[in-house]
Amino acid sequence: MAEKIKDAEDRLLELLFESPPLADDGFSATIVRKINRQMWFRRLTLPLAAVIGGVIAFKPLVALVSTLANFSSLIPADLVSDAASSIPQFQTIALGAILLVVGLVSMRMLED
Amino acid sequence: MTTSEDRDLVARAVSGEDTAAFGELVRRHQSHVRNFLRKLAGDYTLADDLAQDCFMHAWDKLQTYSGRGSFIGWLLKVAYTTFLQSKRKSKRYAEILESAGHVADQESRSTVQPNEEVTDLDKYLAVLTEEERAIMVMSYACGLSHREIGDATDMPVGTVKSVIFRGKEKIRNSFEIKDHQHG
Repeated sequence: MAEKIKDAEDRLLELLFESPPLADDGFSATIVRKINRQMWFRRLTLPLAAVIGGVIAFKPLVALVSTLANFSSLIPADLVSDAASSIPQFQTIALGAILLVVGLVSMRMLED
Repeated sequence: MTTSEDRDLVARAVSGEDTAAFGELVRRHQSHVRNFLRKLAGDYTLADDLAQDCFMHAWDKLQTYSGRGSFIGWLLKVAYTTFLQSKRKSKRYAEILESAGHVADQESRSTVQPNEEVTDLDKYLAVLTEEERAIMVMSYACGLSHREIGDATDMPVGTVKSVIFRGKEKIRNSFEIKDHQHG
């Protein structure tokens, strides 16, 4: 309020705008109760959604995995061995990529 | 009601999701926020509902409070935004009703409820625009500085000063009108 230079009119307006303080009467307790309920609901929503999603996705996921397994048998064995021989560090690169993904996912989980 | 105590409570509430610390903040500031919204909305029940919404929004956005200004200034910004959003929603709702052929109930939209006493302040607030009312209440009822009001309303300090000047002039004129009528 340092920037304000109060004159008689300002003081009169302050008196005019003045209101008696309102008693809490359980207002803050209601807010805290609502927040606790909201937090509990939010914590429950994610695992519940994951479980429901898992149940719904289970059958199509099994079908997808078995289809992919059938496709992998179609890839000639020579092609896989050729790829490994043409890139000598293939195993190291694959391991590095897996570690990077696992690291990123772990970081994200820790952050959450 | 010191700012450093408020900052400590905010830090506790944000770091550990401490609802008790936030409850203490609500207890300390509920009177200012409810009085501000009552003067703005004119309807006590609506104002108290808006105050609840305001504190729920404040909890969700508490980490955005930088601690630069006073906590009550930040809280009144949240309250003002909540009020404007509710106003926009009810306007849209009225428009939908109107387009659907319903006649809007003017009585239910009146700012002062019939069972509530109309004070001198209500009459003076009625001559101000919504923006002027909010700024005048922040200044004279809540004791916020011009800079804090600027932060709360996203307005430059110069504009805040001119809105206050205009509001004072309108109230002054209303006093004169009253004097003429009674004198």
